[in-house]
Amino acid sequence: MALTEKMTDPGVRSTARSPAAKRRRAAKRRRAAETRAGYAFLTPWLLGFVLLTAGPMLASLYLSFTNYNLFAAPKWVGLDNFQLLFHDPRFLQSAKVTVTYVLLGTPVKLISALAVAMLLNNSHRGKGLYRSSFYAPSLIGASVSIAIVWKAMFIDRGIVDQVGQFFGLGAGGWVGNPNMTMPMFILLTVWQFGAPMVIFLAGLKQVPADLYEAASVDGAGSVRKFLSITLPMLSPVLFFNLLLETIHAFQIFASAFIISGGTGGPAGSTLFYTLYLYQRGFVDFRMGYAAAMAWVLVVVVGIITLLFFKTSKFWVHYSGEAK
Amino acid sequence: MKRLTLKAIGVAAVAALVLSACGGGGSAPKSATGALETGPVTINFTWWGNVDRADRYKQALALFKKKYPNITVRTSFVDFPTYWTARATEAAGRALPDVMQNDMAYLREYTANGHLLDLSPYIGKTINLSGFDQSLVKAGNIDGKQIAIPTSTNTLALFYNPDLLKKTGVAPPADNYTWADYATFLAKVSDTGTKAASGQKVFGGIDYATTFWFFLQWVVQEGKTPFNADGTFGFNEKDMTAFLNLTANLRKGKQDYPIARTTQLLPKGGFTVNESTSEITWDNFLAGYVADSGTENIAMMPVPSGSDGKKDMFFKPSMLLSAGANTKHPAAAATLINFLLTDPEVGAIFGTSKGVPADKAQRAAMKLKPDSVDATVTAYEKAVTDKVTKPVPLPVKGFGSIESDYKRLGEDLSYGRITVDAFVKEWFANAAQAMQ
Amino acid sequence: MSVAGISRGSVTAEPSALRRRRRRNTERVRSVLFHACVVAVLAVVLYPALWMLMSSLKPTADIVGNVSLWPEGASLDNFAKALQGIGGVSFWTFFLNSMILAVASVVGIALSASVSAYAFARIQFAGRSVWFALMIGSLLLPIHVVIIPQYIIFNNLGLVNTFVPLLLGKFLAAEAFFVFLMVQFMRNLPRELDEAARIDGAGHVRIFISIMLPLMKPALVTCSIFAFIWSWNDFLGPLLYLKDPSLYSLPIALRLFVDQTSTSDYGAQMAMAVLALIPVLLFFLIFQRYLVEGVATQGLKG
Repeated sequence: MALTEKMTDPGVRSTARSPAAKRRRAAKRRRAAETRAGYAFLTPWLLGFVLLTAGPMLASLYLSFTNYNLFAAPKWVGLDNFQLLFHDPRFLQSAKVTVTYVLLGTPVKLISALAVAMLLNNSHRGKGLYRSSFYAPSLIGASVSIAIVWKAMFIDRGIVDQVGQFFGLGAGGWVGNPNMTMPMFILLTVWQFGAPMVIFLAGLKQVPADLYEAASVDGAGSVRKFLSITLPMLSPVLFFNLLLETIHAFQIFASAFIISGGTGGPAGSTLFYTLYLYQRGFVDFRMGYAAAMAWVLVVVVGIITLLFFKTSKFWVHYSGEAK
Repeated sequence: MKRLTLKAIGVAAVAALVLSACGGGGSAPKSATGALETGPVTINFTWWGNVDRADRYKQALALFKKKYPNITVRTSFVDFPTYWTARATEAAGRALPDVMQNDMAYLREYTANGHLLDLSPYIGKTINLSGFDQSLVKAGNIDGKQIAIPTSTNTLALFYNPDLLKKTGVAPPADNYTWADYATFLAKVSDTGTKAASGQKVFGGIDYATTFWFFLQWVVQEGKTPFNADGTFGFNEKDMTAFLNLTANLRKGKQDYPIARTTQLLPKGGFTVNESTSEITWDNFLAGYVADSGTENIAMMPVPSGSDGKKDMFFKPSMLLSAGANTKHPAAAATLINFLLTDPEVGAIFGTSKGVPADKAQRAAMKLKPDSVDATVTAYEKAVTDKVTKPVPLPVKGFGSIESDYKRLGEDLSYGRITVDAFVKEWFANAAQAMQ
Repeated sequence: MSVAGISRGSVTAEPSALRRRRRRNTERVRSVLFHACVVAVLAVVLYPALWMLMSSLKPTADIVGNVSLWPEGASLDNFAKALQGIGGVSFWTFFLNSMILAVASVVGIALSASVSAYAFARIQFAGRSVWFALMIGSLLLPIHVVIIPQYIIFNNLGLVNTFVPLLLGKFLAAEAFFVFLMVQFMRNLPRELDEAARIDGAGHVRIFISIMLPLMKPALVTCSIFAFIWSWNDFLGPLLYLKDPSLYSLPIALRLFVDQTSTSDYGAQMAMAVLALIPVLLFFLIFQRYLVEGVATQGLKG
């Protein structure tokens, strides 16, 4: 809109009937029509956004300052919930469990994904089949069925226990041992490396082969090639995977719920953040407290996302930039 | 700018809608004593329990359908913890089932907000309580409203496996054994190193200090009333610490049934897989234990005595039946409740699997074959009648939550993750919150 | 082999043939090594799925304490037990519930996401960039911050214990992933067709229906498959909103089944787990190309 104002030559008297004015009006009508059409098409999303996303977000912010328990009207308690949170041993435990999971699980998963992607990045036959096969666990990994299977594999005298004993690990299932439940969950997330792997493969395909050839001519070895060509060229994809996987890792729920039976046991070793939130909000019905937990999560994830984006300019190279 | 304002208004409108509708308490419950409808009626009935109980209910409801062909009963069941979560959400939405199984632990919470139907108008008419002991009926009467009626009574008992115990060479506890004696007994059995049929080591039993109701039993024995009429506790941190320390040595010496194994055996336990020789629990569990363990020979004896040598046991009214205040068919609900409470054939079907029936006719109708589970439990309750001298502790609001808290902390304690002092501190802190 | 024979004995003639043979051999060795490596990794990765399948065919006593995969005494007993259902509700009811939810989700998402994506990708309207940024932001938002108020709203409207809370969001494009995917796809479609149609006097609705939708088929298929699978596997939603066992979807029914069966009945649990996954695996087998390529394009121009 401002553009047309600038285009008007102050020297020419423009009347309402001049061709320039007519064009401006026509343009304005078109833009208005476009805007109407745009909002018409956007209506479902707008409704969804206001009713199911933005509205609830604000409502939960309000709730986090109350002691609402679903039975009686909400009562304002100010910062009480937040104060309680940071002194609540279970909250701190859930934070610890979740952060451990994110810090250990995500890197291992991504490294596995990259390794297998590089293994598959060639012109051998059957690559498509292999790619799909590795991807399959990602589809079912977070399902209840797999959680049940995973648990059954890790019980006393189960398959993992037997194999573990063969390799010298102590006897006893991992499910009942508070020290081994985290490795069990990390294995579960690493098992689902197929999805980031597919994305890495797509990224690897885009690396021009002549870069590698030029490096070979210069006498670079595989490690050098990997560090100087592959990684930088993959950095956008790596960034994308890192961001998404980290955010997903914070939100693990179904597997934790099924394997621990909803308890977060044994001894709180599987009390993931979202599981504790669920317990507080939908078992104890301390919804104000749960809303406070949800907002803490949003803030933490927001900060991490921001950090990722801010630091990305130091290590993410988009193609087309001068080297 | 205009768009932003519109958006802000829209969002505020939604927020307002949400929160104005938030007030959930206090709409008056229906109390109309409508006559039983003659047309087809469908009501919902839900309970907690296992497959065995579900089968029994199926039989009982088939009988009900014969007697009242126009009433269709839709059923569902889950395990105990899940049950209460589901009921709570229904209560919030004023959508409780027409008839539901209830427990003393939750009566206060549900009464406070008028969620349960007052059955008083039906008593003496649709619901015939002439065969009931009045004290039992009173147990379900809160603030003058009869919001639940118990179907049976339980009391605590020590179960033990005589055959397994014989294998270890240790004699069962003497009649006047105390809690400390019981801890010694448990250690002794575990130390024999006997192996069970499954190849695992046999233990005396689990750490009994981690069950809330046993703590309450001990508190009663110590001469205190666990819950005062004003909702405060009749016990303090010192009491809880003392009780938890009764088994400190057991935990230290790893002579209690390993918690790691219990976690993996759920819903069974050490006792029901024949790897532990004893367990304290409610007497109606005998049926389930026999079924789960495959062992017919399970003996019962009273709980340990308190420091004054007395048992001071109590009968807990259990498996109460309530109707949701939001029911659209109160008369049909009352009819089902009466049927389950008083029909003699129902007594025969359930036996003692829910406890000893509260109704005299149902007690008489139980087929007490000698050495049957029902005979054993009934005989047990008769035998300990002279030891049942105390009233049941009336649970406060939030009881369910403090009970599960105790259990969870007990698990942490068993895993060695917290100390007794930390346990007590956290429990009391959470309890203050739960009772708000 | 036979080619090399020709050049034997001549120093200058075709040393490249030898090189070619050596290259072919090294290539073959490398190929074998490659396949061996990949198959080894694949075996480890697919082992849990295989174990699940084999265990469902074994009697429970053979599952715990037994390392061998092969089911001796294989039988379909576990499946028979799983099919009996729980709490008086048959397995097929759960299956049907899951199917209804999944199909409705697909329809809802296909409609709402495509319409929203068209607005974002093809219509220049005021405020578009703001809304687009918000949409992308919602991709990164943890859902737990909205589930509590959503639950309260649905509860107050008496919609708990219905399918409505689970489906409303799908028809309102509440899952930004699908909108985003479609927007990316649309941006790659040539605008000439649009402009030609515009000159002919077609409005946006006509362009959308007659031009965009047919061209969008690959994206629609990909989104539909993901929508189906994610709905099929959804656990938290049904856990919160489905209270009556006759409404349960398969994941919730499976959890109920596990809660109620004694621990010694792993066989039946495995069988039901397998049954619950069959549609997902079928979709995967038939549409794997769409799935994998849909995932792959996500990361480019992220």
